[in-house]
Amino acid sequence: MSSNNDFIQLDNVTFSYGEKIILNKVNLQLKRGDSYAVIGKSGVGKSTLLHLIAGFLKPTSGSIYIDQQEIKTVRKNTAFLFQELGLFPWQKVEQAVGMPLKLNKAGKASQIQKEVLSLLKEMELEHLRNKYPKELSGGEKQRVALARILITNPDLILMDEPTSSLDAMTKEQIQQLIFKYQQKLKATMLFITHDIEEAVYLGKHILLLMPGGSYRVIENTFYSMPKAKEQLGYYEQCIKIRKMLMQGETI
Amino acid sequence: MYKNTQNADAGRNNMNFLKKFSRSQIFGFLSFLILWELTHLMLRTHTIPSPWETISYSIEKIDRLALHSLASLLRILAGIGISMIIGIPIGVCLGVSKKLGYLFSPFLYFIYPIPKVAFLPIFMLLFGLGNRSKVILIIWIIIFQIILSVRDGISQISGIQYKVMDSFQASSLQKYRFLIIPAILPQIFSGLRISIGISLASLFFAENYATQYGIGYYIISAWTKMNYVEMFSGIMTIGILGVLLYQLIDAIEEKAVPWNKR
Repeated sequence: MSSNNDFIQLDNVTFSYGEKIILNKVNLQLKRGDSYAVIGKSGVGKSTLLHLIAGFLKPTSGSIYIDQQEIKTVRKNTAFLFQELGLFPWQKVEQAVGMPLKLNKAGKASQIQKEVLSLLKEMELEHLRNKYPKELSGGEKQRVALARILITNPDLILMDEPTSSLDAMTKEQIQQLIFKYQQKLKATMLFITHDIEEAVYLGKHILLLMPGGSYRVIENTFYSMPKAKEQLGYYEQCIKIRKMLMQGETI
Repeated sequence: MYKNTQNADAGRNNMNFLKKFSRSQIFGFLSFLILWELTHLMLRTHTIPSPWETISYSIEKIDRLALHSLASLLRILAGIGISMIIGIPIGVCLGVSKKLGYLFSPFLYFIYPIPKVAFLPIFMLLFGLGNRSKVILIIWIIIFQIILSVRDGISQISGIQYKVMDSFQASSLQKYRFLIIPAILPQIFSGLRISIGISLASLFFAENYATQYGIGYYIISAWTKMNYVEMFSGIMTIGILGVLLYQLIDAIEEKAVPWNKR
């Protein structure tokens, strides 16, 4: 049953690669402005789900609606952060972040440059504006890729393992940045993670996918709590979700 | 401890000097001259003149050498220019369209290893004895290198990079401007470098008929006259032409592909 607050709706979505069914008759409603951590074992269809919602893949059967519009192709206000980032070696930071605006012809060159510089400043990337990707650290690359998707002010952010390749300290900085901008843009966010702590830190809801496309949505009481990781019960929540992930239990 | 640091610094400075020296063309030229002089001293035959004698002959005949070099340079630049104009779009088509790639790649692989000079009589027959057949021979020699370089450059673009463009709803034209063209630029320069080497080597064949200008002609003419000093001055000039062309390509590449600095 869908409501006005549902931003994304999957109606009986099935997706298969040849004979192999990845997602089977999935019905799912995701609320506007909320963040969803997608977790599940390898091969359950997490990436497929994100690629379907992004419009990169078409469902074998069923329909996907975003903001009540059926998704047939890539949607304008959807931003996708790839695990591999996909920064172009020939683009300096400033060019990379400005590219989406140029592609969408979102104003004159001077206006675009102003917007880019303002975001770079906000994300503490201004000093790197003339650097090529090969001159950046892993964390800096991640922030640049993030800035590249945020510059368009998307209302839907999809991220495939956004912090998987980072060290613990950088990971935490990136998580804080993601949290800050998701709140600021009031964007609906779906992100895949294998890190339960990250799921509990960044996901208002935790979408636990199981083989065949069955799923559970776990409400996360620690989401947006100040200093969530220092609260009693935070790690118990992580252990509980980990158990469910390992055993495929229901709540 | 302090002494060790000093030694390490000195070692690094020496290494940097060696690096700079080996990168400069002087190093290559000096090694060539030394090797040449040693061969001359060991063999003691008039077919290998001393490099110093050759250099002073070349200085003496500098205006003649310049005229021949200019004629060759124009043929090479025309050949490379036309090969790029034709080869790059073909390479792009073969790289972008898998169907075209599958269809034409076997033809390329068949033609690529065949010595292109073997086609010279056909070009002479079809395009006459003038400059046209010479330039077409150069094009025929290097165009496959350019096509394959561009095609391979496109095949190296990752699927994620295309998806990034899709996620920003880039049009086909924008994909070429922001992704495909910049991605193949380094390959074009690699292809050009190889092409320059091959086209300079091909001058020997391309300029051995129906011309009185060109460094290939100059060498062959000296050879038939058994004037080995003159022949070696031509060979040395081809080397210098190569160095100048490679330096020109390096300078253009540094401007056009700054992210790929070695």
